[in-house]
Amino acid sequence: MIRASWERGGTWLLGGAAATCLAGVAMVLWMVAAEGLAAFWPSRVVDVRLNDGRESLGEIVSDDGDWLIMRQSEIERAGGSYARIARSSITSRSKPADAFVVALADGRRIFGRGDVAAAESSAESLPAPAPIETTLWPNSLGFFGSAGVFLRQAGLFLVTSSAASTLAGGALPALVGTVTLVLLMSLIVMPFGVATAVYLHERRGFAVGLVRSAIGNLAGVPSIVYGVLGLGLFVRGFGGGIDRWFFSDRLPVPTFGSGGLLWAALTLALLTLPVVVVSVEEGLARIPPGLRAGSLALGATHGETIWRLLLPAARPALLTGLILAIARAAGAVAPLMLVGVVKLAPALPVDGEFPYLHPSRQFMHLGFSVYDAALASPDALRGVPRAYACALLLVFVVIALNLAAIVLRNRLRERYRELDV
Amino acid sequence: MPANLGTYARFLTTDRGPVLAARRRRERVGAALVLGGTTVVLGALLVIPVFLVTSILPWTRLPVGAWSDLGVLLVGTFKAGICAWFVALMLGISAAIFSAEFAAPGFRRWFKPALEILEAIPTVVLGLIAFATLSPWLKTNVGTLLGLLIAVPALLLAAGMGFGARFQRIAGWLPLWLVPVLIAGVAVFVAWFGPQQTGWIVPASPWNAVLVGLALGLAAVPLVFSIAEDALMLIPATHVQAAFALCATRWQALKSIVLPAARPGLVAAIALGASRCLGETMIVLMASGNTPIADLNPLTGLRTISAELAVGLPEAAAPGGAYRTLLLAALLLFALTFVLNLLAERARTRMHGRVNRAMSKA
Repeated sequence: MIRASWERGGTWLLGGAAATCLAGVAMVLWMVAAEGLAAFWPSRVVDVRLNDGRESLGEIVSDDGDWLIMRQSEIERAGGSYARIARSSITSRSKPADAFVVALADGRRIFGRGDVAAAESSAESLPAPAPIETTLWPNSLGFFGSAGVFLRQAGLFLVTSSAASTLAGGALPALVGTVTLVLLMSLIVMPFGVATAVYLHERRGFAVGLVRSAIGNLAGVPSIVYGVLGLGLFVRGFGGGIDRWFFSDRLPVPTFGSGGLLWAALTLALLTLPVVVVSVEEGLARIPPGLRAGSLALGATHGETIWRLLLPAARPALLTGLILAIARAAGAVAPLMLVGVVKLAPALPVDGEFPYLHPSRQFMHLGFSVYDAALASPDALRGVPRAYACALLLVFVVIALNLAAIVLRNRLRERYRELDV
Repeated sequence: MPANLGTYARFLTTDRGPVLAARRRRERVGAALVLGGTTVVLGALLVIPVFLVTSILPWTRLPVGAWSDLGVLLVGTFKAGICAWFVALMLGISAAIFSAEFAAPGFRRWFKPALEILEAIPTVVLGLIAFATLSPWLKTNVGTLLGLLIAVPALLLAAGMGFGARFQRIAGWLPLWLVPVLIAGVAVFVAWFGPQQTGWIVPASPWNAVLVGLALGLAAVPLVFSIAEDALMLIPATHVQAAFALCATRWQALKSIVLPAARPGLVAAIALGASRCLGETMIVLMASGNTPIADLNPLTGLRTISAELAVGLPEAAAPGGAYRTLLLAALLLFALTFVLNLLAERARTRMHGRVNRAMSKA
């Protein structure tokens, strides 16, 4: 009896560990979704009166129970007018309906009370005026009004490009950079990954074991080591060499000799190679051997069997490998910090100008934007919400890709159940 | 039939030589392509150590303070790594044992994809959560965390012993029922215990090894879990049934049959977990404060090899002393993780060999 009850207790302990894992997943997803979406929701303008008679108008950006941090009108520069207010010194707090917030083009926010004319004059009377981007009376917005503002801000975040500072404007360059990088990486990694998988599937012997353990080990190498290799070998070795041979007239300004899209794609291709090889090989191994034997019996060569029969039959596995590689590459930030990601790129890596894709250009990346906005921004109270917004976009892209891979994997299984007679 | 006969006649009379030659040529080209691709892949692994070693040779050109700088980085790497490793092993291996031995098949089917989602979340996002949300809480709540570490397992054990028997029917889906209970319980505990412990333990820095351990440990859980669970699932069910037939309880079968048989697989999970925890960059970079302090107190900041590489290498001039020191650090990190990966690889091979032998005997 006593043993049985101890055993039940132990089982609950193990179950508790599994529950903690699940709670961890749920908390992470919830945190990213809530904080990321909250970044676009219009915040209320609060009028606070203090016991020393002062009055301040602004939005509350942080509240830890004892202290409030308020953003007041930013007269000179963005991030220049935070006030730390003890909660005990507040005599009254209100949300006046006529309070407005003016967002200026350079990222500053001006608070005030009154109608449209008052808002315009408050923006024009600044010592350093800037064009008005939006004017909003957030306290008089109902739920649907707020939702409208939310949708507009989220949409602008997706489709506009960053302004001079990384804290204002949209994430379009980072999104384009991420997508271009990942697509270029797929073009590089797929042929090599498939070739290696075919080799592992078709051959036997000592070399196969060697390649297999090489793949296993490549999967375990920390991503930052790939970054070191990319910087030392690709950027400074290959890139420096290309510059000396082909672009010597432009030296010492580097063309390929500094971090850029091509080198980042090559580095990520190395990083994701094991993922592709493992999933393609698994797909090849699932094909019933009878199919292959039949093809060989009809007189097809090995190459023709692979090209016309096995690879088409393993197409879902190829796609799964590709998607998993893309998901892994989209989440890898550390190696990119060494091979060409920048906080603010002057131009997109793809544009309408010949040759349309510019492999030597530096680029922006969603994951790096998260890091940069959170840690390296001059205005941390704006940086963190922005980092969460970028994180939400990144997590959305990566999870959508992974779900696609899972659906494909299940389809693949169905398909072979039909084939397996 | 004349049309078919004609085709057949043409087939018999055509000279097949050129066609066959072209097919043979294509075959050779295809084989060469496959071999070439594989060679590139094999070269990719070799090129990492070769590049690192050749760029730091000869040793004498290392700057004077290089080894003591490396010492600081190594202490930081191991401090963060061990904290995270502890969390990952506790959660990952326990969850794997539950999933493989006690869970209902339906639960197992969706528990693994749920953890795969966690694995897919970019580590920079976990780093952000640790940096921006968890660290302000942890700064004043180290005592609460310690309390949770003692109270949650103790209460779970007590609850299982007390009313485990009444919940036999949902035992296979237990974690799912425990999630809301756990979240509510932890919230109540934090609200009650948090104000009481204020000032007990004040961390020297809001970004410290404990914070890194929590975030990085959670990130390493899916890897440890999936390898450990694969190993446990490989043990043939007949072995466990034989133990049951000899009147063993579930836990006796687990302790005397399953765990010893799955040991190589568990060793692989432990080694790969360590390798992951030592090499991760973004979480450490964001949650460790990145301060070069070499002490063993888990509540101070730290700097790891990976973080130093990410921040320092782009600025280091190519042939200089700082560059060389950083490459030496990279080589050290590579060697460390390589040894761990090799260990894991060999353990997994042993596991599969063992299971295959057992299956062929049975």
